[in-house]
Amino acid sequence: MALPLPPGLTPSEVGFLCEMELVTVIPRQRLEGLELLGGPTQSLNPPFPAPLPLWLALLLKRQKRANISPPPWLSVEGLSSILDFETDNRTAEVFSPAPSLPRPTGFGLPHDEYLSQDSLEFSPPFLADSSTTRSQPNALPYHWLELGHLLLTHASDDFDDPDTVRRLLRDLREVRMSKLRKGFRVLDAGAGVKMNGVGGMEIAEVRGFVGGVVDGLRKINRSREESRKDREAEERENGLGGSSYQDDEDDMQL
Amino acid sequence: MANRLRARPAHAPGPAYLSYTPNGKKLVTVGLNGALRVFQHDSEDEPAVIDVLTDNHFAVAATIEFILVGAEDGSVTKYSLLTNSMEEMLVRSSLPVRDIAISPDGQWAAVASDELEVKVVNTQDMTRVMYLREHPRPAKHVSFDISGAMVAVSCTDGLVYVYSLSSEQPQLVKRIDGLIKMLDNEAEASSKAVWHPDGRAFAAPSSTRDFQVVARNDWKLQKAFRGGHRGDISAAAWSPNGALLVTAGVDKSLVLWETRSQKMLKSFDDVHNVILAMQWHPTDNVLSYTNNNGELFIRENFAPNEHAKLLKIALQHAPMNGDPLNDISGNARKPMLNGVKPNGHVRSGDDYIEGLLDDAMSQDGADFIEDDDGAGYAEEPNRNGKRVARSIEGPQAKRQAPGPVWQPQIHEPFQPGSTPWKGNRRYLCLNLTGFVWTVNQETHNTVTVEFYDRQEHRDFHFTDPYMYDKACLNEKGTLFACPASSHHPAILYYRPHETWTSRTDWRTELPKGEEVSSISLSDSCIVATTTAGYVRIYSLFGVPLKMYRQKSSPAVTCVSWRDYVMTVGNGPVGGDETTRLLYTIENVKRDEICQSEDILALPDGVELKSVFFSEKGDPCIYDSDGVLLILQHWRTPGQAKWVPLLDTRTLDRLASGKKEESYWPVAVANNKFHCIILKGGEEYPYFPRPLLSDFEFRIPISSAPNGDEDEINADNTLQNSLEEKYVQSSLQYSLIQDLVENTNATQTQKLEATGLEREVDKVLLQLLAVECREGEERGMKALEIATLMKDRTGKMLEAAGKVAQRFQRDILSEKITQLAERRLVGLVDDDEV
Repeated sequence: MALPLPPGLTPSEVGFLCEMELVTVIPRQRLEGLELLGGPTQSLNPPFPAPLPLWLALLLKRQKRANISPPPWLSVEGLSSILDFETDNRTAEVFSPAPSLPRPTGFGLPHDEYLSQDSLEFSPPFLADSSTTRSQPNALPYHWLELGHLLLTHASDDFDDPDTVRRLLRDLREVRMSKLRKGFRVLDAGAGVKMNGVGGMEIAEVRGFVGGVVDGLRKINRSREESRKDREAEERENGLGGSSYQDDEDDMQL
Repeated sequence: MANRLRARPAHAPGPAYLSYTPNGKKLVTVGLNGALRVFQHDSEDEPAVIDVLTDNHFAVAATIEFILVGAEDGSVTKYSLLTNSMEEMLVRSSLPVRDIAISPDGQWAAVASDELEVKVVNTQDMTRVMYLREHPRPAKHVSFDISGAMVAVSCTDGLVYVYSLSSEQPQLVKRIDGLIKMLDNEAEASSKAVWHPDGRAFAAPSSTRDFQVVARNDWKLQKAFRGGHRGDISAAAWSPNGALLVTAGVDKSLVLWETRSQKMLKSFDDVHNVILAMQWHPTDNVLSYTNNNGELFIRENFAPNEHAKLLKIALQHAPMNGDPLNDISGNARKPMLNGVKPNGHVRSGDDYIEGLLDDAMSQDGADFIEDDDGAGYAEEPNRNGKRVARSIEGPQAKRQAPGPVWQPQIHEPFQPGSTPWKGNRRYLCLNLTGFVWTVNQETHNTVTVEFYDRQEHRDFHFTDPYMYDKACLNEKGTLFACPASSHHPAILYYRPHETWTSRTDWRTELPKGEEVSSISLSDSCIVATTTAGYVRIYSLFGVPLKMYRQKSSPAVTCVSWRDYVMTVGNGPVGGDETTRLLYTIENVKRDEICQSEDILALPDGVELKSVFFSEKGDPCIYDSDGVLLILQHWRTPGQAKWVPLLDTRTLDRLASGKKEESYWPVAVANNKFHCIILKGGEEYPYFPRPLLSDFEFRIPISSAPNGDEDEINADNTLQNSLEEKYVQSSLQYSLIQDLVENTNATQTQKLEATGLEREVDKVLLQLLAVECREGEERGMKALEIATLMKDRTGKMLEAAGKVAQRFQRDILSEKITQLAERRLVGLVDDDEV
């Protein structure tokens, strides 16, 4: 028997995935580098900040061995500028853009594979530094909602103004959610919705709703679809203009 | 005055007003008739006349480029002084305009009319208007303070309203009651608040016919100029340096005052009409006023000869109650280094003038405005890097010479990593190990030492009856120093963090009369420079190792790293009347002097902010321009030079121009500059302790890239960054090579040196590739780059040849191969290119 779970990731799974994001910690005691499955960590040497996976950072934070310094977008200024963008009339249709993709690292020369050291293209959620202190202050990374929630729950004393940040996060979430729902209102058989910049948790949240809607639409359109198929079949049987189509199909099968 | 005063009939009989342009070149008058007059300063010619459509003008304000004229019909019109013609109607109100004030930067004009609100209009864009509405009745006068951030509105209800314009919406800061009189809109008497040029206070005519000074920081009434007038005051003006004041009354009196003593210097009896507006010329001894008969008087040599020199001295303070700065000369207000009292607290007659002349010589007039803003560190003895003019040593003898006496400006001692008092707290030391801060509890201080690494060390806290004012912190212990007091001489106190005996902290007392000017602590020694000009060096447990007199004194600061001690002192005087800073670096254990009395390279007008050793043990300085420099080749005498590592003014984060921030240096470690970012014009970090930030080094080789995305720029950026990387890695290589050659370097350090050598060549290889790609014609430069390679193994040149081949630069590749071959057989030495 299959697990009684809806398709896709559950919110807790998304949160779990988010915990591999790197955040910047300010260690309060020394720690040698660890060989983790996700790669080696930097050795911790107070007061120098170091990037660590979120789960490890939260563990150290709970043991009071480190402070987490929140990424620049998770600040009152950063969030309020993003919120302004989201609520502005001129940009009411779109989501605030995701962080810009990094340029190829190293001193590789453009258009020249020979000397280019790194031509890998990155895309969310695999961006480095999306949640460390080096991240962009004016763009929400893929895991923004979960990361913000986790940090505010476990490390609220590391924020300047946790309550305002929390309120702004909630505002942002509501604004973007309503945008998503509004987007799906126009969803018809062939239509699409542009979801650039939508975060992982938001997708997980609307997945059930959207799946239902699309499925419902499919059901509604089924009779029309079936009648079209029947008609085509009939046409084929009658041999009216269906020959070339059939040939094509035969070719494909060869 | 001997000759009879000649009035210049400027306008039709009736009220007339005037305004000087800020540079003093022109004087504009307005009156009842429909013409404005523009007088040239120092010229007897007929004034230029601007014919206008309005008449009955009640207000005028001038900037260098334009004037604003307010008329009875409620219009404020802008006329250009360049073309002497009307430009635009700036703002219009329904009732007569009474007063106009222009902010010092010329951007905003405040307009008081008989309407209830005061409008503050942008002079360039008249659609930008702010309204001041908190006062219940029409305003009679408006005036901007020196910074332009505040407006004092004298209202007809007898109150002065002070608004702040620094926010988007103007805010009422203070309502000052009991200062001015309730006056009618059209009264000749004035209630205008006139800001003193030092910006700390304004003054206004009071209901008792005095001229009352009000402090800006607490809005309390301060001293007053009393008993000059039998009628209400109708106009007043501070001299441009604030040393003199002129007031005029409706009883046709005109009085010249001295600011400092509030004494009446002279009362003029040659005034026949009520003076309505009055201004000093910005530079000359000229006072101009207009009266209610449409006449203008330009009185040259207004201040009598015996007082005229008061006009030439530096900016004076506004007279305040209980102001400690009031009766000492402004630049000697801090306690003297040698325990000498500031010169002349008992002073009369000539001495007083001499004190003023001291002021005239001090160049830092602007400085003492800044620290009088109530930040509370005026009494701080070591304001970091502050230059002060005063005698170097010994009590100041009464000067015999009648002329101005020259004094060098010396650098104040400072303790790197400390901040001045703010509120009742200050940091004594802030570095990468932790921080030491102290809280003033009136009778004693409480000192707290906190560490970043809480596992390694435990934070501690103690009550401090000695009032320690200097501290150093490192991994091994904490060092404190306190100044002498009535109970004890100056004391040094060292407290190690870890001990295996019961008690190892120690203190030592300095000889009487000697004060500590700076201290430093390293892993192996303790250094203190004193006011007696000595450098005292102790071991970590208090054994005095050596003591000598510093060659350049008074001492400014000292730092140490392991056995190396760097002391900085005031050397000979340079062309700008300030002393040159000299530094000496010596190895205490080996008793070797590395650099002796070498110049600490600082350009004109730039001050030293901090000195520290980098984590690898190279001396670094940070200056007030925001440049971080490191000392190269300092282990060889005479070879040392200061190399910039980072110019914080060119950081990317400042490129947008929106951020205004400065950086407070903490340390150089891990090839990064660690600092605290200070926002909003702060000079020092405060509580709660701000986070440390770090920046990569970037040697200012070329101007910062503009971040444009187009192709050519991207290439340039790449090349620039490679060039910068080349210079930086060569610098790092030379630093580590010096270390390896001159000390017993460890194996890792040697490995690092070879690694860095390879790094230099790698960057060169990349630069070579850029040149090759650019085209055949860049071959010469490419070859030059190839010759720069250190390359002991020959591998790098081989790779360079391959790169050239790859881009089909065959000639270049051939030449590189030749070069490699010649190098291999040792035909090329270092001098040949």
